[in-house]
Amino acid sequence: MIDVTIKRILSFVVLVLVQILLLNNIKFLGFITPYLYIYFILSLPSSVSKEMTLVWGFLLGLTIDIFCGSLGCNALATTLIAYIKPYFQSFFGPKDDYDEVKPSTATFGFEMYLQYIAFLTIIHHLVFFFIEAFTLSQFWSVLFRAICCTIFTILVILSLQYFKHRRR
Amino acid sequence: MRTLILFLLKFRTLFLFLGLELLSFLLIVNNNQFQRNRFLSSSNRIVGTVYNLSDKVNRYFNLNEVNESLAQENEALNTELAQLREQLAFYRQDTSYMGRKQTSVEKNYSFMTAKVIYFSTVRQKNTFTINKGEADGVKRGMGVISPKGVVGIVSNTSGHFSSVMPIVSTASGGISATVKGKTQLGKLTWKGSNLRYAQLEEVPLYIPVVLGDTIVTSGYSDVFPEGYPIGTIDKFSKRNDDFYDIQVELAVDFDKLSYVDVIEFKNFEEREALVEKTEK
Repeated sequence: MIDVTIKRILSFVVLVLVQILLLNNIKFLGFITPYLYIYFILSLPSSVSKEMTLVWGFLLGLTIDIFCGSLGCNALATTLIAYIKPYFQSFFGPKDDYDEVKPSTATFGFEMYLQYIAFLTIIHHLVFFFIEAFTLSQFWSVLFRAICCTIFTILVILSLQYFKHRRR
Repeated sequence: MRTLILFLLKFRTLFLFLGLELLSFLLIVNNNQFQRNRFLSSSNRIVGTVYNLSDKVNRYFNLNEVNESLAQENEALNTELAQLREQLAFYRQDTSYMGRKQTSVEKNYSFMTAKVIYFSTVRQKNTFTINKGEADGVKRGMGVISPKGVVGIVSNTSGHFSSVMPIVSTASGGISATVKGKTQLGKLTWKGSNLRYAQLEEVPLYIPVVLGDTIVTSGYSDVFPEGYPIGTIDKFSKRNDDFYDIQVELAVDFDKLSYVDVIEFKNFEEREALVEKTEK
C-alpha cells in the first residue's frame, strides 16, 4: 500500500517535471503543446476512490498551475476530468474484470483505450483553453488550438503506451 | 441532521468535485488579472444591463410627468427669452436710453417700446403695425419714434395692436419740423419715391441753411418731443423767391425698422380735448 502510494507520488513528480521542464517548452507550429500530465489521472487504477481521484486531480492541476503561472486554470480542468474519469473508465474499460484495472492499451484494448483517452483529453483541453481565454469571442481560434493540442497529447500518450509495452 | 449528513455522504464525490472546482475558479479569478478583469467586467455588464432595463421601464412610467414639466419649463424659458430679447434689442439700439428717460421725466411724457410686426414699404400709402394697442395705453394720434429719429404717428388702434402712419407715407399730412437751432417752422412731407428722403417745405429763404444741418421736430407739436431728430439736409434749392426746397435724408432707415417707441404724453387726452374744443 505504502509502496503503491510512493510509486504514485513519484510518477506524479516525474510527470509534473516532464510537463513543466520539457513539454511546456514545445511549441510545435508555434502553438501546439502536449499536456501529458493528465496521463497521471487517466492512468489511475480503478481501486482509487472517486474522492481520491478528485484530490489527485486538483493537486496535479494546481501544481502545474503554480509552475505555469496560470493559477486555477489547470486545476479546474483537471479536477473536472478527475470527476468524470471513473465513469469513463467503467464505460470503456473491461466490464467483467473485478480486479484492479489500470487503464492501458493492454487492459482496455487499443480501440477502447484510444476512445477513453480521446474523450477525456478533449474535454480537459477544451475546458482549459476556454478558461484560459475566458471569452467566446475567439471561439473558433480557441477551438482550433484545443483540438490541435488534443491530437498532439493523444499521440504522446499513445507513444508512451507503445514504449511501455514494448519494454515488457 | 442525520439525514443531512447522510445526504452529504451520499453525494460526497459531487460536493468534493464542486468544492474543488469552485476553489479553482476562485483561484483563477483572484490570481489572474486578465480573467479577473473579464469576470468583473462581464458581471458589471450584467448588473448594468439589468439596471438599464429597469430604468427604461421607469422612464416610460414617468413620461407624462416629464413631458408636463418639460412643457412648463419650455413655456417659462420662452417667456424669459422673449423678454430678454426685447430688452437686448432695445438697449442695443438705444444708447441714449437713460438720457431720454431723464428727459421724459422732465417733459412729462414717457416711452413705450413696441415691436414692428408688419411694415409695408412697397406702396405709396405706407403703414406699419406695432404690437402695442389700446390695452397698453396707445391712442390714436400719438407720436412714434425710434432711437434714431421720428418714425410716424399712430393712425389706428385695436386691443393689442396699432397702425402707424410713418412720415414716409403719402397719406401722412406731414409733420412740422425745423432746422436745429432755428424756430421757423417747415412742413415735412414725403413725395413717394425713396424711403431714405423726404422734403421739407415752407422754410423761408432768410434762414441760412447749410448742407448737413439737422432737421428736428418743432416744439409746438403735442405729438413729438421738441428737438427730436428727423434727418439731415441732403440738398436744398430755392423753390421761389420766398422758400427753400430742402431734401432731407431721414435719420431712420425704414427698411430696417424693428423696435419703436410710442410717446405717451401724460396729459394727452386733456390736450386733445382742449384742441378739439378750441377748433370748434
